[in-house]
Amino acid sequence: MRLDRFPVTALAWRNLSRAKARSALATLGILIGVVAIISLTMFGTTLQAFFLQDAQDFLQTVQVSPGEDSESPVLDQNEVAEIRQLVDASVYPVESQSLVVGTARDTTRATVTSTDRPRAFVTAATGRIPESWRSGALVGQRLAAQLDVGVGDALRVGDRTVRVVAVLEENPRGGFIQANSGVFLPASQLDTGGTDRVLVREDSPEAAFAAAETIRQQLNTDRREQVRVFDAEASIQRFQNQISTIQTFLLGVGAVSLLVAAVSILNVMLMSAIERREEIGVLRAVGYHRRDVLRLMLGEAVLLGVVGAVGGAVLSVGLGALINELLLGDPTAFSEGVLGNIALGIGFGIGAALLSGLYPAWKAANARPVEALRD
Amino acid sequence: MSVISIADAVKEYRSGDRTLRAPKGISLSIDPGEFVAIVGPSGSGQSTLLNLLGLLDDPHQGQVTVDGARSSGLSTRERTALRRDTVGFVFQDFYLLPTLTARENVAVPGMLSDRERTLARADDLLGRVGLGDRLTHYPNELSGGQKQRVAIARSVVNDPDVLLADEPTGNLDQETGGQVLDVFRGFTDDDIAVVTVTHDTQVESVADRTVELVDGLLDPEDR
Repeated sequence: MRLDRFPVTALAWRNLSRAKARSALATLGILIGVVAIISLTMFGTTLQAFFLQDAQDFLQTVQVSPGEDSESPVLDQNEVAEIRQLVDASVYPVESQSLVVGTARDTTRATVTSTDRPRAFVTAATGRIPESWRSGALVGQRLAAQLDVGVGDALRVGDRTVRVVAVLEENPRGGFIQANSGVFLPASQLDTGGTDRVLVREDSPEAAFAAAETIRQQLNTDRREQVRVFDAEASIQRFQNQISTIQTFLLGVGAVSLLVAAVSILNVMLMSAIERREEIGVLRAVGYHRRDVLRLMLGEAVLLGVVGAVGGAVLSVGLGALINELLLGDPTAFSEGVLGNIALGIGFGIGAALLSGLYPAWKAANARPVEALRD
Repeated sequence: MSVISIADAVKEYRSGDRTLRAPKGISLSIDPGEFVAIVGPSGSGQSTLLNLLGLLDDPHQGQVTVDGARSSGLSTRERTALRRDTVGFVFQDFYLLPTLTARENVAVPGMLSDRERTLARADDLLGRVGLGDRLTHYPNELSGGQKQRVAIARSVVNDPDVLLADEPTGNLDQETGGQVLDVFRGFTDDDIAVVTVTHDTQVESVADRTVELVDGLLDPEDR
């Protein structure tokens, strides 16, 4: 490095390269701390995106069912109509019943769901879900495999026989409609005596949470739980608590490794100050002010910090890209706050180095040159 | 008019429960361009005398005057600035920075203030001490005599009035010691005074004046 351009940096760099292993280890400590701090939210956000990417439908849906104080086990027409009025979104009345289903060869008990527009919740793997659905059954993949039925086969559902028009794709979402081992029939083909729940599908989780709140307030008057309203807000909350636990853990790792790194830099700088007593004494003798010596020593500490922090930032971004690729299939899928996050990590890394360089630098700067130069 | 002088200087040391005094009340005055050798048995206070003259240390009594400025009452900062402008140091162990080349070592005193000019001057000075072909050599690539000549070039890079040298030939053989003394002689011709503590009779023979420091006192008492 050119001494005539950046004398303090160049002197610091050359001094650090005298004890390469020592400097490298001190730098490594800072690097680990910075990686932990940057990962803190970067990986957290990626994990969140990963877990939520399949749960979008679930998050946008509100389920309304009869509440504790309701006199009926089903929702009546008025209540369904009221829900339709309260929300500006698609409303799906659903009836479910547990029935014996099967073929001549095999029978089992399954949840049979009746709704008029099943496309909002399930998709066909084979066959197709008719536009205007009046007859025929949709069968979940697991159930179809268990009973060995396919599109076109006859299926007994309760006391009637229907034809299978589609086998459904597995839906992995912990959603409100379980497609995998159930059967779907067109609306009002079940004799349950009413709608046992209503699903409201909004455009965003926020809209869904708001709709849930409105329905609660409007239908549950006088402290009576006429309807039970379930949205994903609590689940989201729980999930975010878990993410924040992970983040707290990473913050702990980051803090501890930065602390260790700071101690290691303190050690490196103190050793350096002791080993170079005479050199520093000479600098003072030839007219370096105490402030100049302070600058030189702090320059070394900061340089360790800068190398460690920048290395840590590069490594974090690399790791982040790798994890993004593995979980989300897109290496560049960084969240918006990632830059601020990197700046924070770098800041902490350099700050820790600077802080731990202060005492050794102060000590070196205030050593009396006479004593340093005494044989 | 003397360039540097010390009057009635006393420095006290505590050694166990005793208080030692060395020097114990000496006065000395150096003229521009003068080459003064301070001799005498070790432990008589020679190094302390140099430190006092070089403003690295403060006497408990007495007065040091450098370039017309009295050292007492100066802050650390003012003292450092005065030292930088008027005094150059040469040490027995050279004390070159191992990470710097010869020219960078010479330029060290001005590295944080006046780089361009100092580096140019470093090249001149190295040429003058006979190391014009060693500018980019590192200290471990130089012989003892060469290192000391680099150190001398460093000591005059700030254009001082006086060079203070503590056993400058102590680690050198007769011949290289002689070369170093020639370099000193070259600078005294430019009116830079040289004050050196030495046990080397060769230095005494080159010096304009030899004073002996015994038990903290000068002999002859030569002001």
